Amino acid sequence: MSVATASPVVRRLAGTLPLPVLAPVLATLAALGLGVGLIAATGTPVTAAILAFWDGMVGSTFGIGASINRGVALALVGLGFIFANRANLTNVGGEGQIAFGGMVATAVALRGAASLPAGLAVAVPLAAGAATGAVWGGLAGILKVKRGTNEVISTLLLTFIALLVVYWSVQSENLLRQPKTSAATLPESLELPAPTRLPTLSTDPSSPLHIGVLLAAVATVAVGVALARSALGVRLRAVGLSELASRRAGIRDGALVVLALTVAGALGGLAGAIMLQGELWVLKAGFSSGYGFDGLVVGLLSRGSAVAVVAGALFFGFLRSGGIAMEISAGVPAAVVLLIQGLIVILIAGSVILTGAGRER
Amino acid sequence: MAPLLELAGLTKRFGTLTALDGVSLSVDRDEVHCLLGENGAGKSTLCNLIFGVHQPDAGEMLLQGHPFRPTGPADSLAAGVAMVHQHFSLVPTMTVVENLLLGRSRGVLTRTAFGGRVLELAAEYGLQVDPDRRVGDLSVGERQRVEIVKCLMRNPHLLVLDEPTAVLPPEEIGALLALCRRVAASGRGVLLVTHKLAEIARVADRTTVLRAGKVVESVSMANADMRSLVRAMVGRDLGSLDSIAAVSLGVEPGAPRATPPAWKPAPAGSPIGQRPREDALVLDGLGFRDVAGTLRLDSVTIIVRPGEIVGIAGVEGNGQAELGAIIAGLARPTAGRIFVGGRELTGRPPAEITAAGVGIIPEDRHAVGSIGEMSVAENMFLGQLRRFTRLGLLRRRALNEAALDLMKEFDVRAHGPDTPMARLSGGNQQKAVLARELTLDPLVFLLAAQPTRGLDVGAVDAVYGRIRAVRERGTGILLISSELDELLAASDRILVLYRGRIVGEMVAEARHREAIGSLMSGHAA
Repeated sequence: MSVATASPVVRRLAGTLPLPVLAPVLATLAALGLGVGLIAATGTPVTAAILAFWDGMVGSTFGIGASINRGVALALVGLGFIFANRANLTNVGGEGQIAFGGMVATAVALRGAASLPAGLAVAVPLAAGAATGAVWGGLAGILKVKRGTNEVISTLLLTFIALLVVYWSVQSENLLRQPKTSAATLPESLELPAPTRLPTLSTDPSSPLHIGVLLAAVATVAVGVALARSALGVRLRAVGLSELASRRAGIRDGALVVLALTVAGALGGLAGAIMLQGELWVLKAGFSSGYGFDGLVVGLLSRGSAVAVVAGALFFGFLRSGGIAMEISAGVPAAVVLLIQGLIVILIAGSVILTGAGRER
Repeated sequence: MAPLLELAGLTKRFGTLTALDGVSLSVDRDEVHCLLGENGAGKSTLCNLIFGVHQPDAGEMLLQGHPFRPTGPADSLAAGVAMVHQHFSLVPTMTVVENLLLGRSRGVLTRTAFGGRVLELAAEYGLQVDPDRRVGDLSVGERQRVEIVKCLMRNPHLLVLDEPTAVLPPEEIGALLALCRRVAASGRGVLLVTHKLAEIARVADRTTVLRAGKVVESVSMANADMRSLVRAMVGRDLGSLDSIAAVSLGVEPGAPRATPPAWKPAPAGSPIGQRPREDALVLDGLGFRDVAGTLRLDSVTIIVRPGEIVGIAGVEGNGQAELGAIIAGLARPTAGRIFVGGRELTGRPPAEITAAGVGIIPEDRHAVGSIGEMSVAENMFLGQLRRFTRLGLLRRRALNEAALDLMKEFDVRAHGPDTPMARLSGGNQQKAVLARELTLDPLVFLLAAQPTRGLDVGAVDAVYGRIRAVRERGTGILLISSELDELLAASDRILVLYRGRIVGEMVAEARHREAIGSLMSGHAA
């Protein structure tokens, strides 16, 4: 379908604004409109809900910092997604890569990293988290090359394994669970020691904004340049378009498949480590809470552009913060918050497909 | 009486391309009307209009004097127009009768009565088909017969055949042309689409020549002159064409045969162990079993000397694809060894094979030879990107400049090196592949698999010109083709591949044509 076959209204509007910009904005507005209707249906005062939503996103330095931090995790997963996707690989395993990366970063931070010199105490757990994610992603690549296993299936199943291992690690005192002091002791790890936590960027003590945003910026530039300007990017694209023709041209397609998923996994694992060392400080089961899947959506909607990943990640980061505030301070049921987020995703995805398909041809 | 089918001023545009421009022609009952033209001349578009796949932008069609505006194949079939497509629409796992019943089953299936009708028809037209065999087990020629029976069962007024001879071995072409005559003799009209002149001479009552979407000539065969038909079709004189290009049209070449090799071949037949190290290619007892365990190549031994063109003749599907894939390093032989210039390359990866001086023009230009979505420049240098990399970054400008040089040298016509490969015509795509493969240094050996498939005569001319040029410089060439006439004109020796085995070897001379043809069909010479 092309722009020319889109509805007349859309076509007329497209004359004044570039459609790829306009359509997602319209989609968001439509989703928010539907969301307001849903909130009203639950009996929550609509104004209070909207105020809480706004407040959660940009109402305070805390809100802004937390939103950006959320965007960092989403951006890293999204960047990994577009990197692998350049080779026509779909990494669905972001969630598991985050979970494993966070778990191993926690273990390293709790088991000795704190006594390392200042910079290393932060860097070593981060690197360990990224390496773990890399292994978890690369494994799917090896399975694909050696056994022809579809990476969508393998990354998803590896995610379930990772989530359950994290669950086990915080349940078992032999692993990461904090020592039981009473019946009320929660199944979670000890707090990460202060030297292993990411330094914050803002002078305002209420802002949680940490150096993860700088790491994400570096990753954005690296992935963007690699995909758009390097020989590696051309080779990945070639492998994604035609394995056979690439192999004939002397490209080691199998190695590139493994590399692509390894990089995607490393970025996911790094996101997990950053979440733990940046803000959470305590490992709990399910701490990844959908960031991997939201990151996948961010990657999908960006159509391969690293800049678009950042924009989408920030958008979803703010949206999440607003949703959480709406839930906590306005009492909108969590299910409704999730539903509104889902609506936004579907409508934006739909609008991107509507406006983008014409460009593909 | 009105003609059976009359086309008046048909015009069809696709975007900015005018595929057909005011085409008029008519087909009578009892007539075989040949539609002649190069690839891209508009033949298939015309068929699609008649069969209702597309609708004309202007002009009119009349069938038996009545306006005929089919909006889909079902309309055309109902009006009595049947078509045999290049690609058959048969279900391989079903029997002949089951295939024929498909789409015709209203109410109760009467398989036995139906089978009887099939045999009746087959006898009437001299078509041998066994109604109970699985289509998957039939040869290409037999499948085509099933397709034709399928059409005739509808008792059509007009039978359209789109390039029916392209898929057939030489022996079966004669039978098909005879069938066309019989169908016409039964009071029907036959529209036969082809780009081979020799076939026209054998079967046509009238011939219409299309070039660039226009009718450039329409003659009754009684007063047709082959040379003027060629000129009409390709827009240039026969004498100006490479002899092989002329042969590819199915006319005798006017020029003398290809120049003899500059390099004097060593006597053939000495055992492999004592072969000189400089043999361009040695395949020693190559065997290949596919994943299903079927033996696709069996003890294939081939020696290609420098400056020699060895042709592999055979009906498609007799191991050519596997042979090509193994030499290109895309499949690993299950037996035997491969040497190029004395160096063993058995089971080596493609990059190493290329580095050893092996150029590959793959059979499948789209799946293996190039990547349609990538630019001409990227396609030309995909294996050599390192040359254009500084500090990990790709120097696009240097890449595009190098590509532009190659495009000029090999006459690749495109908007520029950034143009996606898929936007190029087939001939220009193939020239881009040639530019990449023939500029290897050194080029010890070249595999050219079906190098002219789907190309128009100008491109065929260019391809063989290039291949001959590298041969002059001492490259050994293995030429795989299903076009026997092309092989005879281009090769020094011809080996015949049948069911994965080399079943014969001949000097490439026209007098061996029949012997090679019968080897190709599995008969001992």
